[in-house]
Order: sequence, then C-alpha cells, then structure tokens
Amino acid sequence: MKLVALFVLLVVAGCQSVPSWERGVLARSDMQLEGSPTEALLNSQLYDSKEASAGGLSAAGAGCGCN
Amino acid sequence: MRLQLKGRGQKPLLALTSAALALPAIAATQPVQTELSVRASRYEEDSVSKRQVLSGSDQRYEIDVQQFYLLMPVARDWSVAVGLAREHMSGASPWGTVKGIDGDSALIMTGATIHESRTEVSTTVTRYLKNSSLGIGITHSEEDDYEADAVTIKGDWDFNDRLTTIALDFSYSSDTLRPSAALTFGRVPRAEKQTRSFGFALTQVLDKFSVFQAGLSFTESEGFLSDPYKLRDVRPETRHAWSVNSRYRKYFVPLAGTLHVDYRYYTDNFGIQSHTLVSRWHQDLTEILQLVPSVRYYRQKKADFYLPTDDFALPLNVHQSSDHRLSTFGAVTFGIKGILKIDDWTVTASFERYLSAEKYGSTSADQEHPGLVSFNVASIGFDLRI
Repeated sequence: MKLVALFVLLVVAGCQSVPSWERGVLARSDMQLEGSPTEALLNSQLYDSKEASAGGLSAAGAGCGCN
Repeated sequence: MRLQLKGRGQKPLLALTSAALALPAIAATQPVQTELSVRASRYEEDSVSKRQVLSGSDQRYEIDVQQFYLLMPVARDWSVAVGLAREHMSGASPWGTVKGIDGDSALIMTGATIHESRTEVSTTVTRYLKNSSLGIGITHSEEDDYEADAVTIKGDWDFNDRLTTIALDFSYSSDTLRPSAALTFGRVPRAEKQTRSFGFALTQVLDKFSVFQAGLSFTESEGFLSDPYKLRDVRPETRHAWSVNSRYRKYFVPLAGTLHVDYRYYTDNFGIQSHTLVSRWHQDLTEILQLVPSVRYYRQKKADFYLPTDDFALPLNVHQSSDHRLSTFGAVTFGIKGILKIDDWTVTASFERYLSAEKYGSTSADQEHPGLVSFNVASIGFDLRI
C-alpha cells in the first residue's frame, strides 16, 4: 500500500498543471482511454476466447468460450 | 477538437460543457448527453488445413453479433446504462489432438453441426458525488449449455484539480455449465465455477496533449475450469491471475492525429505468461472523417500441464490439456477503422485480420498446434448523442 501511495505521489508531482480552458484536446473522443462500450465488449469476447490471458485491456465479458 | 466540437447541429454550450467534463481524468462526472449505440459484427475463422484433420470437419466458427447500448443521465447526479448483446455461432471446433500418421499432431474435429446462440444483458447504475462516483452493475449471460451471472462495483475518485483519478473495482461471477449430450459422450452433466476480480487504476493527465493510465488486477477462479467438450481436458480447479496494464494517449497537433499505446503483462498459476501490445493511430482526414489503422501483438508461454497431444494413458486426476489456447504461440492483428461524424451521429466501420502461429511467439515450441486459429472480423456501428 505504501508503494502504491508513493507511486501516485511521484506521478502526480511530475506532471504539469493544465487549466480548464486548455483541456479541449483532452476532451476529444480519441483521447479517451476507453473506446466505444460495444467495441470494447466485442474485443474482450474475441480475444479472451482465443487466448489464455483475459482482462485488463478492455471490458469484462461473460460466456463459456469453450470452442 | 475538429471532430468533437464542430458538428453543425451541436449546441455550443452543451459542446463546451461536454468538452470540459468528458476528460479522461474526470471519470467521476455525470454524462451530460444520452448515448445510444448499435453495432453489427461478422466473425469468420479460417478453415483448418485438411491434412491436419484426422476426422470431422475442417470448417471453423462463424459468429454474427448484434449489440445495443444505452447510457442516460438521470436526475442531477445519477446515470443508467443498459447493454444487450446477441450472438449466433455455427461451425466446428477441435475435440481433441492426437498423433497423426506422419507423427505430427492432428485434430479430431467435431462435425460442422454446432449451432448455438448467446444473449447477454447488463445494466449499470452510477451515483455521482462532487469528486467521486460509485457504480453497481449486473450482467446475465445465457446460452443453451452455459449461464453466467455477474455483479460489478466500481468507484472513481478525482483529485489534483481533477487531473488525477484513482479507480477501484470488484466483480464476482457465478457460472453454471450444462454441457449438451453429456450422457452420450461421458461429459460432466453439470458444473459450476466462481470468479472474483479486483482492479486498481491510476489515470493522470500528463499535459494538455497526453494522458497515461497504469493499472493492476487480480482474478481468482474456482470450480470447473476444464473444457467439457474436449476428449481429455483436466485442469486445476483454482486459477490465480495477475495483470499489469498501462495505456497512453497523445495528440500531435502538427499531424492532426492521436496515438494510442496499450500494454498488458499477464501471469497466472497455470504457468501462462503473456505480453500484449496494442497501438492505434487516429488520423483526422477532414472535419468529419477519421481513419484509424491499428496493430496488436500478443505472445504467450504455454501452461505447465499443456500437452501437444492428448495422453489417454494418464490417470484422470492428472492435469493435462491439448487446447491450442494453452500452447506457446503469438498472434498479430492488423485493423483499419473509419469514423464518420455528422451532427449527433457517428458511423463506424472496421475490419480486423488476426493471425496466430507458433513462430510469432517468443520461445520456440516443440511443435505448432494445428488448432491455432486465424480470423476476420468486420463491424459497422451507429452512435447517437442527444
């Protein structure tokens, strides 16, 4: 927990302050970390059912994925 | 800015408010518009080489997917999201792997007689406070032989003038399997598994053109984790998986484009280790049109109990699986996507080609699994914001 707190402090301290009137680019749809919810769910279903790793990069899905 | 704010029908105040509030680091803010999305996708796997099939069909899976998603602000500090997905699958899949006549692995495939549908319904309710939000979601997924119910709790907290966000999430899933034709083929008639997952993520605005996120997640699964449709597949009954994730977004003003880089390291007690690297480039072509080429690279090390061919001489309590997804391999995906924005509408069309092979992996396997799959996915989606 201390390591996580230290990591957060270091990251926050090393970044620039961005006033609200300069946040226009950050609001672009292609600057969002998550894409479309439907696309994220589809990718999660596809890759999680074809590879041994799951989760982390997109939304969680459900289902057997047996085949 | 060009794509987001210059739609002819968009109200300026609403657009400005959206811009200020929709920052990646302000996940804890109520959406100001209703979002409606529909998407249709077609997934097709390549056939297996006939010389690698000992019996059954050489055809693989084809899947049609239809999705619906609605996100609505409710009252002053709530939102409700509803998702619906419907899939129809048909084709054949590997049943087992044995030594062929030439000594190489050969597949025993099912006939191309599998027809199955899956429906998934989900809803999430989120409450927004001054600098934080708390969401609770439930998901139900159902197909003929499988049923899953999941609950997710997610909290976000903004601070540092809303340039930093910490997110915590927990999810629990309870799944029930009822394999078809269980008596005929000696499959387990009914089995269960439970999955618990914890996640932590830190998102930081680095400057006015870039954002970074780092995350850590842990997933624990217990119960029946084998594939009931394989001839011999015996896996441990617990799986502990860790993943470390990072995502980076940077807008380049001179190029009018945005770079995405995502990376994940994954490891679990099956012995699997993997690396995933995804990169996309969002290029503005005009004020309403964007082109997005992408590449994804994945590689994994095999599970400790993976065998290239089924060993029917081993006792039933000894772990083994010849599932190609547990073998050593790598995969490359090439994608292209077009995004057209007109007024409140966004139309997205995309195509991806996924290629997997032993040679794309980092370490050499004794033998490439003949079941490794390559596939195409094509999608078209319509999004409306009002």
